[in-house]
Parts: sequence; C-alpha cells; structure tokens
Amino acid sequence: MSLVSASKAEWIKFRSVRSTVMGVAVMVVFTIGLGALIDTAVRGHYHEMDPIRRLTFDPVSASLYGTIVAQFAVGVIGALFITSEYSSGSIRATLAAVPGRTRLALSKLLVLTLSLFVLSEFVSFITFQLGQTIFSGVVPTASLSSGVVLRSVIFAGLFLTLLAMLGYSLGLVLRQSAASISVYVSLLLILPLIVLAFPQSWQDHITKFEPSQLGQAMMSATPSANGFSSWTALLIVTIYVAVVFGVGTTLLNRRDAGASQ
Amino acid sequence: MIKIDHLSKRYSKTLAVDDLDFEVRPGVVTGFLGPNGSGKSTTMRIVLGLDHATKGRATINGKSYQDLKSPLHEVGALLDAKAVHPGRTARNHLRALAASNKISKARVDEVLEFAGISSVANKKVGGFSMGMSQRLGIAGALLGDPGVLLFDEPVNGLDPEGIKWIREFFQSLAKEGRTVFVSSHLMSEMALSADQIIVIGRGKLITQGSVDDLTATAKGTVYVRTSDPKKLISALVAERGEVQEVNDNGLSVSGLSSDAIGESAFRVGVVIHELTPQRASLEEVFMELTAGAVEYGSHPMGASSE
Repeated sequence: MSLVSASKAEWIKFRSVRSTVMGVAVMVVFTIGLGALIDTAVRGHYHEMDPIRRLTFDPVSASLYGTIVAQFAVGVIGALFITSEYSSGSIRATLAAVPGRTRLALSKLLVLTLSLFVLSEFVSFITFQLGQTIFSGVVPTASLSSGVVLRSVIFAGLFLTLLAMLGYSLGLVLRQSAASISVYVSLLLILPLIVLAFPQSWQDHITKFEPSQLGQAMMSATPSANGFSSWTALLIVTIYVAVVFGVGTTLLNRRDAGASQ
Repeated sequence: MIKIDHLSKRYSKTLAVDDLDFEVRPGVVTGFLGPNGSGKSTTMRIVLGLDHATKGRATINGKSYQDLKSPLHEVGALLDAKAVHPGRTARNHLRALAASNKISKARVDEVLEFAGISSVANKKVGGFSMGMSQRLGIAGALLGDPGVLLFDEPVNGLDPEGIKWIREFFQSLAKEGRTVFVSSHLMSEMALSADQIIVIGRGKLITQGSVDDLTATAKGTVYVRTSDPKKLISALVAERGEVQEVNDNGLSVSGLSSDAIGESAFRVGVVIHELTPQRASLEEVFMELTAGAVEYGSHPMGASSE
C-alpha cells in the first residue's frame, strides 16, 4: 500500500467534513473582505499619514493585511484535520486501514499542504490585486511585474500554507482540538505579548523569531532593519514546522492509538 | 487465523491483559467472553496494531498487523461503531477507507446494500442510531472481503431483527471458511451465535472450548414428575442419585442420567409423567467461571467494597 492511496483516502476525508468547508469559507471571505476594508481605510486616510510613514509605506504588505484572518483559519483547518480523528475516535478505523503511522502522518500532511497551498496562493493574489485596485490613484501601488513584489505575494501564500502545516503538526502532538488551537493561537498572538515584558535589548533578538514577525518578513517587499530577509524567514518557519511535525510523527508511532482519550 | 501469543498489556498501573495465549481458528464463530473491563477490547486493539503489546504478540495468519500490506483485504474489524466522524456521510466514510486500500467505489455501494443502509448512505453519521452505526461498522469490516473478522460487542444497540440477522451473518461468514472472532459480555448471546468460546477475566484466560464442552462441565440435573414420588425417591436413592423435591410430584435428580431414572422407575412400577434433562445454562457456567474475576461488581448499598 502506497503513500498515494493513503493520500487519496485523506483527500476524501479532508473535503467531506464541514469544518474544512467552513474554515476555507472563512479564510477566503474574511481575508478578501477584511483586506478590502483595510485598504479602503488606508486610501481614505493616506493624506493624513505623517510623511515618514508615507515614505516607508509598503503597498505590498499593506494590501496583504487581510491575510491575518487567514492565519488563524488555516491553523484551525490544519489542527482539526487530525484532532477530529481523535475526538470522534475515527483514528482507530484510519489506523486499521493504514497501519504505517509515519505514512499516515505524511499522507495527511501531503493533502493539507497541496490543498492549502493552492488556496493560500489564490487568496494572496486576489487580496493583493484587490488592494492595488483600491489604492490606485491615491496611494502608491505595486505591480506583480516586479520580481520582489511577485515573491512577496507568493511568500504570503507560502506562509499561510506553512501555518496550516504547523497547526496540523501541533494537532499530531496534542491530539485535542481545544488544546491544539489554543497553543496555535498563543504562538501567533500571545507570544509577542510575553516578549514585550522582556528588556528591550532581549526583545531585539527574540521578536524576529516570532511566527508573526517571520510572516511579515516573508510577505513584505522591503525588509525591516531588525528582521530577517524573506528567504531566511521562510527557512526558519519551515524548520519550526519540520521540528513540530517530527515530534508529532514520533509520538504517533510510539503512543497507543486505540484507547479513547 | 488469529494467534495470541503470551500477550500482556500494561496501562500505567493496571495490567489489562495478563499472559493471554490462545488461537482463533477459521471456519467457526469464536466468542470472546468476559465481564466488562476484562481486557477483551484491549486484546482486539492489540491484534489490530492500535495499541502496542507490553509483552508477547498477536499475529494474523502468522504476520503482525503492522506488516500487512493491504490490511483491509485480510482483516475486517468493528471495534466501536460510534467512532466515526459525525459530520461525514456514511458513504464518504467508507469511500475514504476503501481508497486507502485500493478498494473500488462499487464495493462501497455493495457493502452498504448488504448492511441494509443504502438509503441513509448520504446522511451524516452523527444522526445515526446505535443500530445504524453498527451496520455501518459491519459494512466497513466487509469492505476488503477479508478472511479474518473481529467484532467487538456487535450486538449492542441492535433490535431483535438486527440481532437475528447478525447471528446468521456470523455463521455464514464462518461457513465460508473465514475466521470470525466476536466479543461479548453476554454469555446468552454467545450461546446462540458462537461455536467456540474463549472466556477471560481480569485479563487472564479462564477457559476455552466448544459451547457443548463448557455446558457439559457443569453438573446437569434431571427433572422428573411422577404420580408416586415417595416410591421413586427411595428407588433413586438406592441407586445413589441425589434427589430434591421441587414441587408436588416433581423431583430434581442429580447423579443419574434420564435413562437410568426411567429404567429404575420401570423396575419399581412407578408411572412417570415427565422426564426432562436440565442443562445448566451457559449463563450459569459463565457466572461460576468469572465469579472471582469481575472488575466492576455491584455491592450492597452501604457495605464497603473490598
């Protein structure tokens, strides 16, 4: 039995539950909708902005603000993809059909990554284009014909894909929906607040490693002085995902899957 | 064929399965009996590779579950009928399982039809009754047309018609030469649906054998009704029978066969109205066997347990 047939099964499972459908709907509608709303606000108040901010204004990352909602949606989609198997108990039927646990973990990862990649890139490009259309005439705009801009938009989609993989990997480790989603949201939202309590000299070193900062670094056309380059940020997020996925897969192999939680 | 080879399983402090050792042969329905918490489900989960054995191993046709290339073609199992994502339809649930083992969509429709749930195939499983879920689980177990089948408490939640259906179904699977391993905590159920029985308590093997063997081990009595009990009693006692008066003219005799009782009645010229061998019910045998091995026994209120 191959990874391909296991992945076919996971693809059927992935698209046949409402949590996926709802998660995707939230992601698409809110990201594009919120993006448009923010872009309209930026356009309306651009002339009030102080000159320095106007000078450093990045139309690329500004138009991609909407993806913040997507960051949460994709993590939840990823986490539920595995934790729902534990909460419903279907993990037993799944593992009876696919006893190779590493293969199972990989097949789910494959399905999640491919589908979220397509979806995230779609959302990123739409949000970006919509933003530029709203900005045009008042606010400086960017064009995909520029290599840097194109890379930023592609990386915005990549970042979302990696976050979905991170949510899924956390789910593998924690097995419970609420716990996985809490930890995921904490990494994105609470971690930066905790870092704020540290002395400034520490913050300068820590902040740039936060997932949200790495995401900013990946999707902005003009890297900030204190952050990583977009490629380095991509590498670091990938390492995060690889480590958590590795731990999750090891645990899946070691733990009993039969007894209910 | 399923082989349980000196299998033990420890969950932190509890020893759920304690050096179990038995075989489940093809061609017959084998009942796996024990009180709640005696280790039946744990054993089945280890057979399916879901839980790891602490000691010993379980094999199917000589192989560990993990080593089966396309497990659904060799083993079908129904462990917990409700363990299905409630938001998924019955058909999609089966299609996903089928896809992972390269089983066709046509086969999915076939097993849905066989289990009698075609009409609800596109409904979400969350709305299923226990009986419908059991049928879905059975459909899932049959997907790969496997030679070995495991069912954990399959009768739970089925209506009488469903129970009759499932008994006949087990027998037909066994007649086709398959290995059918069915767990239950109800001896009466197993007496009707199984040929071979394995009894465990507190994770240990208590006894195994055919249903007939097990009931034979219990002391049988014969019920006799006669017009002249006094005369018959003295005749039977003379032949070393133990006699108890059960009701007017009715005697319960142990230690003598019904043939011997009939013959001695004939010799002393007593008229017999009824002569019925009383087989100890399997239920009684089971209670006797597992009396010391009940994990969750009830105790009189107010009395301290232990």
